[in-house]
Amino acid sequence: MELFYNNKKNLIFLIIAIILFVVNLINIIFFTPMIVDQHWAQKIFYVHVPSAWVGFVGYLIVMISGFMLFIKNDNRWDDVALASAEIGTFFMALVLVTGPVWAKPIWGTPWIWEPRLTTTLILFLYYMGYFMFRSFGGNIERVRRQAAALGIIAFINVPIIFLSVQFWEPEIQSHPQVEMASQPPEILYSFLFSLTIFSILFAVMLQYRVHLIRTKNLLKSNV
Amino acid sequence: MELRSKQIILSMLFFGLAIILIFAFSSNVAKVILSNYAPGMFWLMNLFIVVLGAHRSFAYEKEFDAFSILISSPVDRGIIFIAKWISGFLFITITQLVIFIPFFKLLLLDIPLETFLFISTALLINLAIMAVANLVSGIVIRSNFSEILLPLLLFPLLSPLIIAATKISKSIINLESFAIWNVWVLIVASVVVIFGLAGYALFDHIVEE
Repeated sequence: MELFYNNKKNLIFLIIAIILFVVNLINIIFFTPMIVDQHWAQKIFYVHVPSAWVGFVGYLIVMISGFMLFIKNDNRWDDVALASAEIGTFFMALVLVTGPVWAKPIWGTPWIWEPRLTTTLILFLYYMGYFMFRSFGGNIERVRRQAAALGIIAFINVPIIFLSVQFWEPEIQSHPQVEMASQPPEILYSFLFSLTIFSILFAVMLQYRVHLIRTKNLLKSNV
Repeated sequence: MELRSKQIILSMLFFGLAIILIFAFSSNVAKVILSNYAPGMFWLMNLFIVVLGAHRSFAYEKEFDAFSILISSPVDRGIIFIAKWISGFLFITITQLVIFIPFFKLLLLDIPLETFLFISTALLINLAIMAVANLVSGIVIRSNFSEILLPLLLFPLLSPLIIAATKISKSIINLESFAIWNVWVLIVASVVVIFGLAGYALFDHIVEE
């Protein structure tokens, strides 16, 4: 099988993504304005929010792939689902690390049962179970279909989790939130740029991981 | 047929009593403090019982290799899900009804004044919990380490329901107006509808050999 980066398109896509990611980091560190009451902590949001966005997109793709697997009965959708779940969980872990780092100086405590953070934690824990299921599931064909079902029910549960945490203890939710839409242009545009770069990075990672999974499956079937 | 297997109900029942015992020993606090935690403890106990019941419910099919016979029967597989859902709901409800008074009495707490309301909302919550538990149990039961995987996947999925159940029960115990806690009933009802439909639609795919 052809190496992933022997394909020129893939290589160019990767190089562009790396360059843009470095540019994004330089922009965040050196060129975005400091907010008086938040200082360096605020800069975490250029990573935290895009990570959450990419993580949720990852889980959305798991759900869509699950539906496609059932409709088309094509195992390639399972490769996409697995790759997307892995990358989505990586970004969710990043959210769970960067969230408390931001919250400690701003809210005075590293953890608050804030709906978005709590929904992220619940999904992260669920997906740990999902990966264990994929490892211990047994018959690979059956596991593919069942993992697709797990991916679907995880995502349809997201609004329920979010709403229930939001209504849980209103006083816990009263901490100041960062509303990006109401920020000055230099912050808003940097944020949107970061969001785009993270999305591109996700696409590169997904493409690469799907390739690896398919190569691994091919090798297994040839042994 | 399911009700003939008394082992499930008995094991859930004695497991529940054992949990009450542990709660009583581990919460040596004033009655007023304990009564605040009582709704949460009640649903935590139910959560453990559900895991036991949901696992045992499908385990018989696994142990006697009856799963393939069950799914080869000439009925819609969605109907099998609904049948399992209803039987699971009955198991948990019967256990809960038996354990309801011992829970409050052994923890030296007052039985809720609105007992009928408490139990009727518990029925709806049980229906929601079993919709999720039945679906997840049907998925993991034929995997290795299913007894570990079931709670690992089930607890995060049930977390919004546990919040809702605790809130509803707490409000009923505190005699609060329905207007304050009706949002939680809506959340539970939405879980019943969403997971009921998802289970009906997906069960065919997840049990396929």
